[in-house]
Amino acid sequence: MNGLPIDVDLAWESLPALFDGLKVTAILTALPLLLGLALAFPICFARMSDRRWLAFLAEAFVTFFRGAPLLILLYLVYYGLGQIEALREGPFWVLFGSPFGCAIVALSLNHAAYMVEVLRGSLLAVPHGIVEASEALGISRRNVFIWVKMPLAIRYGLKAYQNEVVSFIKGTAIVSVVTITDLTAVANSIFEQTYDPFTPILCAAAFYWAFVNVVRIVFDLWGRWLNRHNAEDAAAAAVVPGRGRSLRSASDLKQVTP
Amino acid sequence: MIAQPAATAETGGPAIAIAGLVKHYGSHRALNGLDLDIRRGEKIVICGPSGSGKSTLIRCINALERHDGGSIVVNGIRLTADEGTVQDIRQEVGMVFQHFNLFPHLTALENCMLAPRLNRGLAKARAEKLAMHYLERVHLADHARKYPARLSGGQQQRVAIARALCMEPRILLFDEPTSALDPEMVKEVLGVMEELAAGGVTMICVTHEMGFARRVADRCVFMDHGEIVESAEASTFFQAPESGRLRDFLAQILR
Repeated sequence: MNGLPIDVDLAWESLPALFDGLKVTAILTALPLLLGLALAFPICFARMSDRRWLAFLAEAFVTFFRGAPLLILLYLVYYGLGQIEALREGPFWVLFGSPFGCAIVALSLNHAAYMVEVLRGSLLAVPHGIVEASEALGISRRNVFIWVKMPLAIRYGLKAYQNEVVSFIKGTAIVSVVTITDLTAVANSIFEQTYDPFTPILCAAAFYWAFVNVVRIVFDLWGRWLNRHNAEDAAAAAVVPGRGRSLRSASDLKQVTP
Repeated sequence: MIAQPAATAETGGPAIAIAGLVKHYGSHRALNGLDLDIRRGEKIVICGPSGSGKSTLIRCINALERHDGGSIVVNGIRLTADEGTVQDIRQEVGMVFQHFNLFPHLTALENCMLAPRLNRGLAKARAEKLAMHYLERVHLADHARKYPARLSGGQQQRVAIARALCMEPRILLFDEPTSALDPEMVKEVLGVMEELAAGGVTMICVTHEMGFARRVADRCVFMDHGEIVESAEASTFFQAPESGRLRDFLAQILR
């Protein structure tokens, strides 16, 4: 019986290599998620600032890095920055001289740009009356942000964040173009060695699928824990119109707030 | 001239002194040079048609709205744009809103504990004791561990009152506290407010609950177009309104 497009032996033999690839993909997901989020906070504050020039700079950052295709951004960082001699001689070459460093930089910038908007939309979705109530209690601005705005914003933005993380994970596959052997690159190299067009790619797809679903389960548990205050409404709150990168604006988020 | 009552001398002036208060929203003049002095412990009910500036007035007192002209002095502190002054005044003034505005992610107890913990640095146990004390006062001790979504409107509003009381303010502002409630829940909230009024706290209440005004208010204030049209003791206010505008208004709401 050879109706299956999959060569089971090859799949089995490829497992260790695919796992190594998955590890690289996981690292290339985790680091930019952390760095991008850390970068998104100050840029989001700038974006929401009353100072026009600051808000403008932040908006320019978002427009540029959200608009720039990730592949081209990666090329620019990897090939483009290497043309600058001062950079090649400078201390940052440790980072920009390596494909891994370049991938981290490009992915982080891309993720940060998206997260600025996710964060901003979530913060804008916090009902104004609740913020006023905190202020009327004499709670300082900083504490209102930490104890009231942020906890609510996380709840409102969780689904949008999950969408961003999931599409981001799959987006990391492009790092193979700058010689990094992530999951996709491993599958490609097995294809090139065996000329089996299906087995390695389908196995890699299964790995991505499993990875994304582990992330989904973590998000679901997190969301359920956060929304324990209205357990019956949690399902309703979880319904987000559209999927993937379509949910970006504050108005989209407002529709899903409970 | 006859000397002022002893209370004024002893406590050093009124709880709130408002003079020439002006507030604009764009070209609309929401408050039009309004004067109002409120004694310590006085219970005041403010009523008036919608858009008359009554909410704006009490929201200016704790600087949720910044006024454009005139002066507001709360417990001897003159309200300025300075962040520290605003914070000082907000420690003295509690507020209850029409839509409760409870923190949905916190239980009733945690709602009450947040401000004392953050503003006064109370330890968890002490804040919890304080919060329970005031939840008992609004008859909600049994519901302390529930989230707002699990409480009825009336219960939520009583939690909101307890939350304001936990900062032990000397002045309480109520902005239409029963307007968003189902009729059968209005009574429980007004009941709690009447109990509070029996204590020494200064209360300013924007409401159209005329029964409450009759029972509790030392003085009723009628506002229209950003001005105080008439201000009188409750019985005079209802039985012998001087201005035509108040007569029309009372005829409308008492119908």
